[in-house]
Amino acid sequence: MSNENNKTSLPHWASILGVVAIMLGVFLTAVHANEAMKQAVVTSNMPADGVMPAADCPEEELEEEGITIAECEYLIEHVKGVALAAPDWFPNVQMTLAGVGAVLAFISVIIGGALVNYTPWASKAAVVVFSGLAAVDLLQFAAVVNTGPTLREVYLGGILLWFILHLMLVVGTLAGRHSEANA
Amino acid sequence: MQRQGFSRTAVILHWLLAVSIFFLFISSWWMMGLPLPSPELQFRAFPFQLHKNIGITLVIIILMLLYVRLRHRPTPPDSTDMAPWMHWSAIAAHVAIYGLVLAVCLTGYLSSAHTRWDTVFWWSIEFPRIAAPDEEMNEFWGELHMWTAWALLGIIAVHVSGAIYHAFRNDGIVRRMMRW
Repeated sequence: MSNENNKTSLPHWASILGVVAIMLGVFLTAVHANEAMKQAVVTSNMPADGVMPAADCPEEELEEEGITIAECEYLIEHVKGVALAAPDWFPNVQMTLAGVGAVLAFISVIIGGALVNYTPWASKAAVVVFSGLAAVDLLQFAAVVNTGPTLREVYLGGILLWFILHLMLVVGTLAGRHSEANA
Repeated sequence: MQRQGFSRTAVILHWLLAVSIFFLFISSWWMMGLPLPSPELQFRAFPFQLHKNIGITLVIIILMLLYVRLRHRPTPPDSTDMAPWMHWSAIAAHVAIYGLVLAVCLTGYLSSAHTRWDTVFWWSIEFPRIAAPDEEMNEFWGELHMWTAWALLGIIAVHVSGAIYHAFRNDGIVRRMMRW
């Protein structure tokens, strides 16, 4: 009986790239979804005048969270700092890009599976979706660069890393397609 | 005849579970950095309720996955060159993941049940209170929730490493969970 699980004739590069895309896709879906939630939660809970109330730090809560009073007070300052550092346009732009990114990242999980199985449309779809993810990274990068030092410090390193990973996936798929075409 | 890979339902549930688990980890690290709740500061309200909603949903998903996998067992992989220890490690890791997901969800629920916050599943189904607010019990179950979650993350790393190992060998094992 032929065993389809051992189709070693399927290209090696597609198997590796597919699984890497799936792993990154699962993680990135969560990252983007969390980013969208972050923007929504911070924006909707900030006092309209931007003045934060005093910290409420009961002893038993501090013990449960394993934090000091200073850190409890800092949590408010931190969220206030991030909110005040964001220009008015930033939360909406970031939420939109994160939403698009989450959808594309989830699609990249499906594309990764298609690459592992090397379905006829897999490599072409992979180039499109991985390029889309790289484009989202670039747009996020551009958006964050146009804010200030606080948000650049929070976001830029991570976005750059994702951009490099997506670029590698695009180039890897293109290289695999060229090898197949020349074989 | 048994099918070669896992059923499509099992595949969908598996990846839904994976995305949800990673979302819960990442969002929980962020939400624990939000200001402690007070009447004026409600930053934590939505993320915490969402965390509980997804956690409870995970229990449903994992029970469905268990049912589907036990009901529709695929043929064992035809990998004659897989060392027995590797085969048994894979089985142990799977059992541990199922057990730990259930344990993380249960301890999380019990921790939450001992706070003053109610659980309204997806903001529509109010769960009955099973315990009065009790700081000590909340802390006890909260600690267990945290440690089982770290253990789950560790075992997921092993599981993912195994998947990547088989993908690099291109031996067809990972293809069993990618049938769409």
